[in-house]
Amino acid sequence: MTTPSAQLPTPASRPEPEASAPLRADSVADSAGGLTFDIDLTLPDPADWNAALVLRLRGDAEGADEVRLPLSPAGERRVRAVLPSTVALPEGRWDVYVAVGDERPQRLAPGLNDLRSLVDRRPGPSLSPLAVCIPYTTKHGNLSLRSWLRAPHAEAGELRVADGTLTGRGRLYRVERPVAWLTGAVVRARLRRDPSVEHEVPVTADYADFDFWLAYADLAAHWDGGQDVWDLWLARADGAEEGEGHAAEAAAGTAPADRSSATRVRIARILDDVVDKKPVFAYPALSLGTDRGTVRVTPYYTADNDLSVRVEGA
Amino acid sequence: MHISFLIHNAYGIGGTIRTTYNTARTLAEQHDVEIVSVFRHRDEPVFDPGSKVTLRHLVDIRKNSPDYEGDDPRYTKPARVFPYTEGRYKQYSELTDLRVAEHLAGLETDVVVGTRPGLNCHIAREARRGIVRVGQEHLTLSTHSKGLKKTLRGLYPRLDAVTTVTEADANTYRRQMRLPGVRVEAVPNSIPEPGISPADGTGKWVVAAGRLAPVKRYDLLAKAFAKVVAQRPDWRLRIYGGGAERDKLRALIHRLGLYNHVYLMGPANPLDPEWVKGSIAAVTSSLESFGMTIVEAMRCGLPVVSTDCPHGPGEIIEDGVDGRLVPVGDVNAIAGALLDLINNDELRQRMGGAALANSARFAPSQVAGRYEALFSDLMSRGGLRGSLHRTRGALLSGVYATKDVGRQAFRKVRAA
Repeated sequence: MTTPSAQLPTPASRPEPEASAPLRADSVADSAGGLTFDIDLTLPDPADWNAALVLRLRGDAEGADEVRLPLSPAGERRVRAVLPSTVALPEGRWDVYVAVGDERPQRLAPGLNDLRSLVDRRPGPSLSPLAVCIPYTTKHGNLSLRSWLRAPHAEAGELRVADGTLTGRGRLYRVERPVAWLTGAVVRARLRRDPSVEHEVPVTADYADFDFWLAYADLAAHWDGGQDVWDLWLARADGAEEGEGHAAEAAAGTAPADRSSATRVRIARILDDVVDKKPVFAYPALSLGTDRGTVRVTPYYTADNDLSVRVEGA
Repeated sequence: MHISFLIHNAYGIGGTIRTTYNTARTLAEQHDVEIVSVFRHRDEPVFDPGSKVTLRHLVDIRKNSPDYEGDDPRYTKPARVFPYTEGRYKQYSELTDLRVAEHLAGLETDVVVGTRPGLNCHIAREARRGIVRVGQEHLTLSTHSKGLKKTLRGLYPRLDAVTTVTEADANTYRRQMRLPGVRVEAVPNSIPEPGISPADGTGKWVVAAGRLAPVKRYDLLAKAFAKVVAQRPDWRLRIYGGGAERDKLRALIHRLGLYNHVYLMGPANPLDPEWVKGSIAAVTSSLESFGMTIVEAMRCGLPVVSTDCPHGPGEIIEDGVDGRLVPVGDVNAIAGALLDLINNDELRQRMGGAALANSARFAPSQVAGRYEALFSDLMSRGGLRGSLHRTRGALLSGVYATKDVGRQAFRKVRAA
């Protein structure tokens, strides 16, 4: 055959010839954001109550942040673990292991990840933090999960770049009264190298949807050589209340009510099946003249899928 | 039946390897099947040959192996049997010549199957008498160089059968090569049933997958999709695959203002979970030797809009039934066919169902069955007829090896 198709060297599709590899977990995402994992495995002891799918937060000391999901038989030589959408994992990357009996947990490889229900996800109304969990294959071919936990959450939609302006559209989730929240709200660009430098533009809102126009010249005016990164936040009009709707805080376990009163939230794109947006969601760079020379300005998604704007010398 | 496949490298990845394993595994349920790999560069094969297929190698090039043969002086001397007109000539050597010859001379099987032109030449010259000799063509005759065609013209008459992946290519072989007594038969590649439920046709996504190479003409697809978006901005396109055209395509997508609608997803494996996220598949190639991705998408329940390019698409898709065939290079026709399916949910669903049903003929069991029938036929032909045919083949080979003046002269010979 002539068409080497768009495939990487780690085949897993059944009943294709399978890779001579470690245990694989097939995963299925439901539309609420829950995940089901199936593994071809026979539990040596069906009464092994400790048999579990183990999720370990990467970067943590062993056992520090670990979630154990019990394994139960699911047909012949197959076991299943469920991560319900109601279990909100703290934000981060989780490596996936299987633990049986007294054996050391074994790292799992990905099988078939059926993530079709995540593709154009529109989460329902709720005041709980928005939990997103996407299984993916690491560069070493292992199975990991990427999780986000946001309350509120500002989902970025279409972005347009033209005439020196970024035109953005987004939607606000998990606040009790989106209309009130968005009334007078702004998109705030914050300069990463000096967070005291901020630039705000108003949003126009239609229920939970919001639009904004960010003129690049206002960001480029601060450019002083090198590369500037501006992080984009959606912020309430009344900046009086403290609190940030972001990972660290959500992970700290504040009550939902407190979170939805968070006064600002990072604009991000997390409501689909694409774990790493940066290489996929790419936008044109615009050139702009400044007092210190020409700059190129490009919106992009960070490693956490948060929306930022890069300003750099052309 | 005892069947032996001869393959360049069974330890790597690629379409030929994948389809050979699929066929071998299925045949092994009823027959003795071995896969003999000329090279072995890693300990374990990427694909699992299954417990019933024997896998072995002829030349060990694993640097960490006690049997490493890369420092054998013969390994760096040029091959003389493996034809220099073959694309992989540089990887072959005096050592591979020797090992393949020894292997073929000692082969006790009923059938030997070569999986690329150079190895088919080895088989034509060196397989023991009495063994059925089959040469598979996984590319196409028309994409081979003049030099390679000449080589094949000289040696293929000594085979019992040449298999191609399309009828179109089989016809080219019949037309352009003089192969008296050689069965030329099209046997398509096999694609296993996906281990995932088929697409339900509701997602507003068109999906394409393949190398980002000029031959795939994803530039046409992007331009066609600009027309789609003008009418249906709620539909988007995902293109899976990596390749040299990536930056160019991205620039085109940006120029067309399609960066909210057309996404370059990068390579994905397995692809089935990605197909089922879409409702329509698109292929805009100027050439497809077979059209693996068309069958893959159909097996996932997607109707495929494809250019009617040589060689495969027209033999896989039934236009208007399980997909659409449009003229090569015609942006308006591609956009029109996509919009027909996008604007008609009922039609799209019906064609998706037909695609699922009609692509079952590419199941490994079906394809292996066709090989089985071919091999049995060739075996029963054996005996005197077989050896007569081979003598004739050898004579013909001589003629063409000494005097090959191409297709023009070839026609005269046939007319004479």
